[in-house]
Amino acid sequence: MLIYIAKRLAAAVATLLLIMTITFFLMNTIPGSPFLTEKSTPQQIELANQKYGLDKPLVVQLKNYLVNYCKGDLGVSLKMQEGTPVKDILFRQGKFGLSMRLGLLAVLVAVVLGIPLGCLAAYKRGTWVDGLLRVLTTVGVAIPTFVLAATLLIYLGVKAQLLPVLSGSLTNWKAYIMPVISLSFYDVCYIAKLTRTSMLDAINQDYIRTARAKGVKNKWIVLKHALRNSLIPVVTFLGPLIAFIITGSFVVETTFSIPGLGKYFVESVINRDYTVIMATTFVVSILVIAMNLVVDIVYKVIDPRITLSSTDE
Amino acid sequence: MKQAFKEFSPFQVNPDKVWADYNINASDFEPATESEKESMVEIRKSVSYWRDAARRFKNNTVSMVALGIFIVVLLFAFLGPSLIPYDYANQYRSSQKLGPFEYSDQEAKIKSIEDQVDCMFATALQPGSSTGLDPGDYYFKFKGNTYCFNLDKKLSDSVIILKDGELSTVREVHIMNGEIKRSTPLAFTSEVAEGAKELTIAKKVFPHMVGTDSQGRDLLARTMYGARVSIIIGIVAALIVLVIGSIYGAISGLCGGVVDFVMMRIVELIYSVPEILLVLLLQVVLKDPLQKWFDASNSWFANALSTLGAGIVSIFITFALLYWVTMSRIVRGQVLMLKKQEYVTAATALGASNGRIIRRHLLPNCVGQLVITTCLQIPSAIFLESFLSFLGLGVSAPMASLGSLCSDALGTITIFPYRLLFPGAVLTIIVLTLNLVGDGLRDALDPRLKK
Repeated sequence: MLIYIAKRLAAAVATLLLIMTITFFLMNTIPGSPFLTEKSTPQQIELANQKYGLDKPLVVQLKNYLVNYCKGDLGVSLKMQEGTPVKDILFRQGKFGLSMRLGLLAVLVAVVLGIPLGCLAAYKRGTWVDGLLRVLTTVGVAIPTFVLAATLLIYLGVKAQLLPVLSGSLTNWKAYIMPVISLSFYDVCYIAKLTRTSMLDAINQDYIRTARAKGVKNKWIVLKHALRNSLIPVVTFLGPLIAFIITGSFVVETTFSIPGLGKYFVESVINRDYTVIMATTFVVSILVIAMNLVVDIVYKVIDPRITLSSTDE
Repeated sequence: MKQAFKEFSPFQVNPDKVWADYNINASDFEPATESEKESMVEIRKSVSYWRDAARRFKNNTVSMVALGIFIVVLLFAFLGPSLIPYDYANQYRSSQKLGPFEYSDQEAKIKSIEDQVDCMFATALQPGSSTGLDPGDYYFKFKGNTYCFNLDKKLSDSVIILKDGELSTVREVHIMNGEIKRSTPLAFTSEVAEGAKELTIAKKVFPHMVGTDSQGRDLLARTMYGARVSIIIGIVAALIVLVIGSIYGAISGLCGGVVDFVMMRIVELIYSVPEILLVLLLQVVLKDPLQKWFDASNSWFANALSTLGAGIVSIFITFALLYWVTMSRIVRGQVLMLKKQEYVTAATALGASNGRIIRRHLLPNCVGQLVITTCLQIPSAIFLESFLSFLGLGVSAPMASLGSLCSDALGTITIFPYRLLFPGAVLTIIVLTLNLVGDGLRDALDPRLKK
C-alpha cells in the first residue's frame, strides 16, 4: 500500500512538472508582452522585463518559477494587480476560498443527491418514479451548464426575484443557491444514472440472492449489500467530477459574476499575466492531481478485489 | 411411428416377433422426394451483424424518435438558411433589438402595403448601412423577366414595387397609414445596362421569428448558422479523435511489450493533466500564429482552414492533442481482447499475415465499439466548443456557434432572455438527441452490454 502511494506520488510530481513546463512554454508563445500597452515605450518594456526577470533565458525563468514554488513563493502579479503578490490575490482576497467553497458544496450536493436518487430509481425499477428520474437525468446531462445557469438567472433571479442576480462574493446564503445548482446539476444527474445502472448490476449478483434467501428485507439488501458494491463506478467518477466542477466554475463564475479562481484564470490568460497564469495553473493542478490520488486510494479501500499495482483494464 | 416404439422399447424386443409385428414398413425408409426435402428444411436467411443491429436499433423507440428529431435539427441547420431571406452576418440598421415577431417602424410601414403589390424592393430591408439607393443603374429579376431601370437621384426610405403581376410597372412610392401615396413610375427596359447592380426583391416582409440582436442581425438565421457550425465542429472533432485514438490504441495493443508500456504511460500522463487549463491556454496561444499562417500562406490547405477561422481550427488542434486518450484506451482494450480469441489463433496457425488478421478479424470486430464511441464523442465535442465560445475563446464574430450566441446574449440577459434561451434550447436538443442515438447504437451494436 505504502509503496503504491509512494509510486503514485512520484507520478503526481512528474505530472505536475510536465503541466508547469507545458504551460510555461505555451504561455511564452503568446505574441506580445504583458507590459505592452498603447502608451508603453520599448525602453519601459525593457525595464519592466528586467525588473521581473523576463529578460532571462526561458529555461532559467522556468527554473526560477519552480524553485520559488517549492519555497511557497507564488511571485507577484505582472499586470492585473501589478506588484501584488499572487498568493495574496488568490488566498487573502478570497478567490481560492470562494471557488473551493462553491466547488466543494457542488460536489457534496452531487453525491448527497445523486446516490440516493440512483438508489431510489433502482429500488423502484419499472415504476413511474424510475421513469421520471430517467427522463430527468437524461435531459440533465444534455443541458450545458451555462444554459442552465442563465435559465435559473432569468426565472428565479429576474422574473420571480427570489434570489439575487449578482452573486458577488457569496456573502449571503441565498447567493449560493443558483451557482451551486448550476454547478452540480450535471453531476447529480450523471451520478444518479451511474448509481442506478451499477445498483441493478449488483442486484443480480449471487450474494444478493443469498441474502434474499436468508430472508433479509429488500430495503436492507439495497442499502447494505448492493450499495457498497455499486459505489465503485461512482467513486471512479469522482476524479473526473472534480475536473468537471472546475470546468463548470469558469462558466458559473462568469454567469453570476463571482470573482473566483476560474474567472480569474480566464482573465489572466487573456491579459497575459504570466505569473498569475503559472500560479493559478499550479494551484489548480495540485488540487486535481491530489483529488485523483485520493480517489484511487478510496477506490482500493472500498473494493479490496482491485489490485493497485496493475494499471491496465 | 412414435406410437409403435412406445409400446416396445428396444430393451424389450421380443426376438420371436417378425419385423412386420413392429409396425415398421419398408416404405417408411424410402429416400425422401425433393418436395418432402424442401418442406423439412427450415429456410432462414443468414442475418448479418449490421442487419441485426439495424433491426435492434429500429425497435428502440426512444432512439428512433431521437434520430428523427436530430434529422429535423440537421434540416434546420443546413436547409433552414436557404428558406429565410436573412443572412447570419447581415446587419439591418433599422431592425436592431427586435423581439420575436416584432417589426421595426420601416418594416411595419412596408408590411402594411404588402397585400397590394406582387413584390418589392425596400431600402429598409437591405443589409448594412444602406438606407437608400444611390443614383445609378439597377436591375432585378422577377418571374423570368428582367427589369432594369435608372435612378437619376438618390432614393431614400422608399420602396420600388411591381404591381399587378405581368403588368410591369416599377414605381417609387411613399407610404402613409397603409396606403400607397405619391408613386412615381420609373422607366425600365428588359436589357441590363452595363454596370447595373442587382437588387434582391422580396414578396413579403419576413418576420424575425426570434428577434434580432443589438447589431440588427436576425437571430433565427444566426442560430441556424450557429447550429451548423457546432454540428460540423462536433463531427470533425470526433473524427479527429477517432483517427488518432484508434491508430494509437491499435499500435499499442498490437505491439505489446515495451512499446505498449511506454505508450500507455504517455496516455496516463495526458489523462491526469487538468486539460481545461491547457485548453484555455491553447485557444489563446494558437489563435495569432494560425491567423498569421493563414494570411501568409497561399496553399489550398491554409485557404480551406482560414475559411473556418482560427478559433475553430485551434479547437480541432486541441482535440487532436488532448482528447484522443479515451478512444485509444478503448481501442487498445478491444485489440488486446480480440488478440486472444481462438479465431485469431487459428488464423495465425493457418499462416495468415498480420495485415490480413488486422483487416479480416480485428477491424470488423472493433467497428461497433468505434461507432459507439465516436457517436458519443460528438456531443461532448459540441459541449466543449460551446463552453469555449461561451468564455469568448472559440469562434469569433461575425461567425457564430451556439456557444458564442449564448455568450453574446449574456450581457443583456435581463432584458432579452430569449436571445440566450433559443440557441441554448437548440444546443440542448442537439446534445440530448445525439446522446440518445449513441445509447441506442450501443444497445444495438453491442447487445452484451445491455442491462
